[in-house]
Amino acid sequence: MAESLANPVASTSAPAGPAPEEPAPALTVAPGPHIAYGALTTRRMMLDVILASLPLVAVSLWVFRAYAAFQIGLSVVSALVAERVFVALRHRSSTLGDFSATVTGLILGLSIPPAAPWYVSVVGAFAGIGFGKIVFGGLGQNIFNPAMVGRAFVMIAFPAAFGVATYVAPGLSADAATGATPLTALKMSGETPPLIPLFLGLAKGSVGETSALAALIGGLYLCIRGTAAWRIPTAAVIAMSLLTGAASLIHPSPWTVAHHLCAGAFLFGAFFILTDPVSSPLTARGQWIFGAGYAVLVLMMRVLSGYPEGVMFSVLLMNAVTPLINRWTVPVPVGGPVPERK
Amino acid sequence: MSDRGNDGPTPVERFIGGLIPENPVYRQILGICPSLAVTNSMEGALTMGGAALFVLLCSNVLISLIRPLLKPHLRILIFTLTIATFVTIADRFLAAFLYDMSKQLGPYIPLIIVNCVIIARCEICASKQSVGTAAADALGQGLGFALGLMSIATVREILGFGTWFGKWLGWRVIPTAPAEVWSPWIIMILPPGAFLTLGLLLGVFNILTARRKSA
Amino acid sequence: MKGSYIGQAWPVIVLGFFFGAALAGVHAALSPRIAANRLNDTLSQIPALIPGATRGAPMEVGNQIVYRALDADGSTVGWVLPAGGQGFADRIELLIGLDREARAITGLYVLQQNETPGLGNRITEKEFRQRFAGQSAQAPLSVVKGRVGGAGEVEAVTGATVSSQSVVGIVNGAVAQFRRERPEATP
Repeated sequence: MAESLANPVASTSAPAGPAPEEPAPALTVAPGPHIAYGALTTRRMMLDVILASLPLVAVSLWVFRAYAAFQIGLSVVSALVAERVFVALRHRSSTLGDFSATVTGLILGLSIPPAAPWYVSVVGAFAGIGFGKIVFGGLGQNIFNPAMVGRAFVMIAFPAAFGVATYVAPGLSADAATGATPLTALKMSGETPPLIPLFLGLAKGSVGETSALAALIGGLYLCIRGTAAWRIPTAAVIAMSLLTGAASLIHPSPWTVAHHLCAGAFLFGAFFILTDPVSSPLTARGQWIFGAGYAVLVLMMRVLSGYPEGVMFSVLLMNAVTPLINRWTVPVPVGGPVPERK
Repeated sequence: MSDRGNDGPTPVERFIGGLIPENPVYRQILGICPSLAVTNSMEGALTMGGAALFVLLCSNVLISLIRPLLKPHLRILIFTLTIATFVTIADRFLAAFLYDMSKQLGPYIPLIIVNCVIIARCEICASKQSVGTAAADALGQGLGFALGLMSIATVREILGFGTWFGKWLGWRVIPTAPAEVWSPWIIMILPPGAFLTLGLLLGVFNILTARRKSA
Repeated sequence: MKGSYIGQAWPVIVLGFFFGAALAGVHAALSPRIAANRLNDTLSQIPALIPGATRGAPMEVGNQIVYRALDADGSTVGWVLPAGGQGFADRIELLIGLDREARAITGLYVLQQNETPGLGNRITEKEFRQRFAGQSAQAPLSVVKGRVGGAGEVEAVTGATVSSQSVVGIVNGAVAQFRRERPEATP
């Protein structure tokens, strides 16, 4: 991907300019696109993400019917309009062709409560593309995942739209009963839902987050294609399993490891949102740290904070430390460390 | 410390300079704490702007009057003493005559003491210039500061509450609507809204300045 | 003289005296008005807090300032307790209305709060405050979530459990203290 070239790791591990004292090593071992591999373009990766999200979209359409179509459609269209408008404001040529705005809109639409009012996805898409991407200079320059920036903006702007009233019961199209999501119910009254519906996606929740199965299918496709760095979701799942496993050994509860993995947006976040190549670490070790940190934060927010779910804030917080992780985990090139630049 | 004669800007230039070209909020990025803290309503912005203008004008005039007595190592002490006195007077007057605003602004009125716009003008202008020049400078900077606050508050109050001068005049800009149709943006009332608005307006200000220069 | 401390610092000392006198003057001129503003803010709420009350009179009970609510004839119809404590974001200042025998809560008003807009600041809304009216003052209230509270229970504001708990805690503390210290004979 083109934007990875601009990353500090790629540039610091490359020979650091003319080094007068001793010659810099000729070989660089850094992750990232050094081989001219024509197929690995932004456009192909974004199309992969869209393809991988089809199971999620299908489940959401089946579970939430018109609500899902409305939210996903509206936020994708808004994201495209926002991208077109902001790019025109900056006097650049249109970037709609790389499908990155489509992906942002898709992820945003999948992470919004089904019965949220229309302005939530529209404002979210504009805030995400505008504040999350364009002000930093466009795709590749952004620190945070644009879709999550947009969702954070609307969640703080419209707290009522993220309350129990907008989470409709699955399987109903009109006049649906609304109520607490499994994670809210856990926080409020300690209820434990049956595991199978939670795994399949027959639970209350945001449009595309309910089905663990669909997130796994799409996520595995992304990992096999190499579009998503497989270490990130793997680290997240392992860390979450270990932590909740240890917790249930010390303090047994009906919320098992599987509940924590399947409930809410944990898997959707780990496979689709966290793996955004722009805002995640480049190095292998960094990716392990990144995924594990995400799982720790999600669990802490679920258990300790006032919010029922913490995927969005966890992603944003881990995005914020990505440059630091990159700096910590610069790999040693063949032939010894790169000499310090004076 | 004598007057500098003709090499500095004239009083009129200083007054105009404070409004836009050297606006404290958008050009000097000074006094950012009140710019962020009290600008979720026009009333708060106007009261803060007025109080800061009063303190700035009084301090500038008084410092300018006593400038022959200022000693380099004691001047900051005298500046802060003067500013603190006028801030306390402003705070008491607000509590007596605008009790609601005094309650709403809370600690931010006493905090004008540490507003760097004021001490900056005392140091840069009042301690070196005649009374007339110092007063013109204070008026320009004070009005510029108030304009900066009110521009931020306009965006935040309209988006966050749907009103403009909602508490005093009750002007509703965005009609109240059921939650399915429209909702005020709570984020604009909160601190993140202040940072985002200030950043965006700063960008707009820079674009306009660049256009004017290139034109 | 020139090198001595006084020689250098006399402008500061003179200014200090001058400013001190100015502030004393401003304070003397304005403090009655400021105190009246504060009192009015409280007193103006009393008719809404206690049915039948038209005005209030401050009095000291223990080390607490409370307000006796009087009807048009000047007889006591209830009590208003100012109380405060830490909320989620900042201090919350409340006025609590009690009936004449301090057996039941008649109303609640939030004088000052700085809770999260959209969530915690909904403690100022009538819908939440009405959950206190009619509750018994003889036992502490408790907070319940996600269902309508019964006797002795107050339903928390959705998404603002901490703010709701703070309000209930402040009410419980102030009411209990007042019931211990209140004058037995009510005029």
